Amino acid sequence: MKSIVLSSVVTALLVFSGCSSKEPAVDTNAQKAPVEEVQAVETETVSTQNSMVDSTTNDTATTISELESKLPTVYFAFDKYNITPEMQAKIDEAAELGKSEKAKSINVKLEGNCDEWGSDEYNFALGLKRAQAVKNALVADGIDASRISMVSYGESNPVCTEHTKECWAKNRRVNFKLLP
Amino acid sequence: MKILFSLLIFVSFVFAGDATIEVIKKADTIPSIAVEDSSDSYDETFKRKFFRSLVADLNVLSIFNVDRHHTRADYNEDKVVFSNKEMDYVLRYRLIDEDSDGLSLEMKLLHKNENIYSKSYHVSKKEIYMFVSHAIAYDINEFMGQPSVAWMKRKVVFSRIVAPMKSEIVISDYTLTYQHVVLKGGFNIFPKWASRSQKAFYYTDLSNNKPTLKRINITNGQIKSIVASDGMIVCSDVNDDGTKLLLTMARNGQPDIYSFNTTTNKYKRLTTYSGIDVNGQFFGNNKIVFISSRLGYPNVFSKNLKTNEVEQLVYYGRSNSACSAHGNYVVYKARETSNAFSQNTFNLHLISTNTDFIRRLTATGVNEFPRFSKDGDAIIFIKNYKGQSAIGIIRLNYNKNYLFPLKYGRLQSMDW
Repeated sequence: MKSIVLSSVVTALLVFSGCSSKEPAVDTNAQKAPVEEVQAVETETVSTQNSMVDSTTNDTATTISELESKLPTVYFAFDKYNITPEMQAKIDEAAELGKSEKAKSINVKLEGNCDEWGSDEYNFALGLKRAQAVKNALVADGIDASRISMVSYGESNPVCTEHTKECWAKNRRVNFKLLP
Repeated sequence: MKILFSLLIFVSFVFAGDATIEVIKKADTIPSIAVEDSSDSYDETFKRKFFRSLVADLNVLSIFNVDRHHTRADYNEDKVVFSNKEMDYVLRYRLIDEDSDGLSLEMKLLHKNENIYSKSYHVSKKEIYMFVSHAIAYDINEFMGQPSVAWMKRKVVFSRIVAPMKSEIVISDYTLTYQHVVLKGGFNIFPKWASRSQKAFYYTDLSNNKPTLKRINITNGQIKSIVASDGMIVCSDVNDDGTKLLLTMARNGQPDIYSFNTTTNKYKRLTTYSGIDVNGQFFGNNKIVFISSRLGYPNVFSKNLKTNEVEQLVYYGRSNSACSAHGNYVVYKARETSNAFSQNTFNLHLISTNTDFIRRLTATGVNEFPRFSKDGDAIIFIKNYKGQSAIGIIRLNYNKNYLFPLKYGRLQSMDW
């Protein structure tokens, strides 16, 4: 009896010692996937005129990132650049913010984007028409047109890269970027 | 019953696809060629690389059945190697190592054991060996009296996206074997050769506040800003002598086509539709071909710049969003499915303004950004499939497509 128990314990020990510990596999896919940039970093390069960072500059930078976090992203349907009623409500809110005391001296750049279907000029133009649609809505809400500039990035500035319909929907958008 | 059955079979054979029979016939009638390597210099790896490049180039010519076996032979031997005895042609070459970095080569084309054509080559850097292989294939093609493949010797310039809002502009040969990154960092897209000599190219710089069209001289690295435009700016086409450009600009957020004179630096608006007008291409005298959404969806139109008359060119499909023109031909990209929720298929089609002729050039996947070669013999395009980008080349006269994959990044646009 004792010898059976002893031999089974020994066998068990041998079996368990044979199991190697797994090393974390290096995900080679991660190297191929584009690095996602944190958008907010770009707004920190403020005040090219003043090399001294004084307290007022700091305030502007804080205000800008604070305001930007309150601004919406406007989404669009496949191959379209018209504003839907839900998106219109978001733009109305953004316009109110733009007219407030804190924000009224700040300019905005509207960035138009598309999903991954097509890198040709037409896609860039579609992104631009989306930015233009948002601009028209802001102007209709009382924002001065001279405060608004636009750019289109086509499909070159995705927020996600999975080939799924959810990801494509997230990329068909216009972003608000505040300029000091 | 039996009679009916055999009659039906007989009828089905009569209507069997003619196209397939014709293709098989064609393969039988093109001559065979083998390649013999007589090189003594260089290590095996380099010799094999060169051999593979040469065999691939001969294959792309589409005028030979190319035997891919690597055989060695004495350069001065009169007869071909025994295993190549049945071949119609044998290309025998010898790589010669120079004392410096350079590479020399001599080759001869043998037909029935007779030397019918020979030539020598030299490049100053061994790294650009593939251009020697392209030159050999070009010369043999010319010798055989076939339509010119001058595009094979030309450089391709392309932009690839490496991360959101980050790109590289690269110069390569048509197979992407040679690659030289010319512009790194920043966000530069839509490169376009400035002239036939390929010494400079235009591109769009999006890294600053306003999209700017710039021109870079690749011999000295000098960069010049040409014109800036809020919204977007792209150089869509350059005329033959490089004095006129067709630009897509979006002043006031309105994308339209402009002509730009590089001598006077003046531009002129060519389209006035309030929607999208992009991708202008010079087309014959005083005409342009372009993409417009004036019918509610992107389609291909031509405009006579003297009379301002606009003509619809394609009456098929619901989304034709990119084009390139040469002679009487226009190649365009057609979306063949309209699914917001799954993979879409985009194929390239070819039309002629002389006839009602329309031909589909690709079959599956996402095929976009077509560009005619300067001689009109081939079309280069981008194929994106399962996350990998490739450059595709279509030989129009032979109805054959070739793909050259990109190792990393996503192809945004290119020119040759």
